[in-house]
This record gives sequence, structure tokens and C-alpha cells, in this order.
Amino acid sequence: MMSDMMINRLVEDLTPVKPLKNRNGFALTLAVAAVVAVLVALLAGVRGDLLMGMPHPMFFLRGGALLLLGLTSSYAVIAMSQPAVGNSFKGWIWALAAALLFPATAAVMAMMTRPDDMAILVARYGVECLTVSMLAGLGIAAAQVLWLRRGAPVALERAGWLVGMSSGALGAAAYGLHCPFNSIFYIGLWYSLAVALCAIAGRLLVPRLIRW
Amino acid sequence: MIASEETFRRLMTKAQAGDKLCYSSLLTECEKWLRRYYAHKINPAAIDDLVQETLISLHRKRASYDPARPFLPWLAAIGRYRWIDSLRKIYRHEHDQLYEEMAADPQDETVAAKVSLERLLDRIPPKQAEVISLVKIEGLSILEASAKTGQSESLVKVNIHRGLKKLSSMVETE
Repeated sequence: MMSDMMINRLVEDLTPVKPLKNRNGFALTLAVAAVVAVLVALLAGVRGDLLMGMPHPMFFLRGGALLLLGLTSSYAVIAMSQPAVGNSFKGWIWALAAALLFPATAAVMAMMTRPDDMAILVARYGVECLTVSMLAGLGIAAAQVLWLRRGAPVALERAGWLVGMSSGALGAAAYGLHCPFNSIFYIGLWYSLAVALCAIAGRLLVPRLIRW
Repeated sequence: MIASEETFRRLMTKAQAGDKLCYSSLLTECEKWLRRYYAHKINPAAIDDLVQETLISLHRKRASYDPARPFLPWLAAIGRYRWIDSLRKIYRHEHDQLYEEMAADPQDETVAAKVSLERLLDRIPPKQAEVISLVKIEGLSILEASAKTGQSESLVKVNIHRGLKKLSSMVETE
């Protein structure tokens, strides 16, 4: 019988494997994110108030929201490498809702008052924010894609969105160590754009890299 | 009789460690389980290929099984993924084979219901599930499915496309 022959071939081909562990994949993501953050700090420099030991509250708010989003969605990405009917990883949705408070606040404030900091209109700063965040995110996304390729993700499009969003959020959090702006308008516009563009890039590129 | 969840899990754990005898038993049991799983949910002409493709996927992705978790939901996720992939490829098959009669397995009814393909099809809009069943599973042409459902030909195509897209986003849904 055809199946018997195939089963024999598969048995012949069997070699021991180490089952994937979610915590190892998550640790890999964190390690790459930490390296990326150190590189950003070394190459671009750390923002002045942080160096002086008196960081602005917005530094913590922005970094915290990005880290929460990046960590929860990274965990969802890693967990997708081990499929099972009944799996559900939705913690990142709440982190995303919290992060969306930044662009939402910026939009509401913009309707009520003129942006206080015209830097948001200077494309040079914004483009730097986008470029560095996305480059930093690229390294993190590469680690996640390699992990997913070892596993068996079954929702490829969702995996693409989540890889993009999580790596973009962690990359932007790393860039936040350098970024001197505290304006809600600047953060609402450029940081949101960075994470959104990474998510779109992830949706477009990642599924074809992890298909099996 | 098909092996129990506990037997599957034990065999798979040993197979991951390289035990060929256990792996051979595991694959034989999985083949039986998959044949029942796919019965009536794929054109009979395609079932052999689909079972084989799923076993090959199981082999290639065996490291993605976590021994601390149940086995059948993992196998079902891989089975659903390959099934949707297979539905995408199927266009029209001649019906020269009858469906085999498959008796329900009394051992794992609760698990089987949770991970079944029927449950997945129930989660998409009925119009999409209907045309997927008619065209991709029963093998009707677009024209025949259109006449049978009252949907226009282009709507049949759109509903198949949307239904398969939706199915592929819900592989892990219970």
C-alpha cells in the first residue's frame, strides 16, 4: 500500500528532535531586542534627560506602551510556532488598545488646539524616527521569522501582522532611548506610523517566508 | 479501534526522542485517525494525497509538538491547515468513487467534536460553507453550484475565495 511505503520512508528518516520551547523563542526575541537597543544607544546616542538621570514622564509612558505592545504580541508570535486547535493568544489586543491612546489623544488634541511643537511637521526628524525604528524592528522580525520557520504556524496572515507589529513596537521602543521629543503630537504621528508601517510590511512579506 | 489521546501523546514523545518503532505505530494510528477526520470533507479521489501530505507535514514539523500538551489538537491543527491548502488546489474531480462509510470513534468523541472540520465549516457564513462543500468537496462545477444555490457564478467564486480565506484564519479555533 502507498501509505505503508511512505510511512516506512518517514520512519527511516526519523532523527531525534528537541521540542520547541516557547520560552526559548521569547528569550531569543528579548535578547535580539536588547542588542538592538544597545546598538541604537551607542550609534545614535541616548537622549539628554535620560543621561542626566531626570527623564521626562513621557519617556516612560511611551516606552512602556511600546514595550507592552511589543512583548505581548511577540509572545503571541512565538506561541504560533506550536499550533493546536483551541489556542488563543489575545493579550496583545489590550496592549494595542492602550498604545492607541497615543494617536487618539494626539488626534483629539489637534482638533482642540494647535500642535505645540512644530517638529512634527519637520520630515527630517520623522523620517529618522521611522527609519531607525524600522531598521531596529527588522533585526527583531528576522529572529521571529527564523523561529516561526522552525515551528508550524497555521494562521500565516495573522502571524505576518503580529511579527510586523511586535518588531515595530520593540524597534520603536529601542529608538525611544535616543528620541528627544516628548510631544504627544510627535509621538502620536511618527511612532504610530512606524508601528503601522512595520505591521503592513509584516503582513505583506512574512507569510511567504513562513509558509510550509 | 483508534488509539487514545494518551497513547498518541506517549508515542509522539518517544518518536521525538528518535524511537522508530513508536514512530511507525504513531504514523499508522495517525493515518487511521486522519482518514476518519477527512471523511466526507474532501473529494474521495483526493483523500489519499491529503492524508499523505498531512503525515509528511507531521514528520517535518514534529518538533513543534509540545509533549506537555494534548496531541490530537496539534494533529488537528496540522490536519486543518493541509485540508484548506488542499481545498484551494481542488477544482473539479470526477466522482468515480463512493464515500467510504466511516463509523464514529466512540473513544474521543468530545475531543473529535472540538477539533472537527465540521465545526470549522460551521463558523463561516452558511452561503460560503455551502459553495465550498458543493464545489470543493462534492466536486460540482461553478455552474452547477450556481444553479443549485441560486447564487450567481461570480458570487459562487467570490464566496469560495472568501470562505477559504476565513477558514485559514480560524485553523486553531475550537
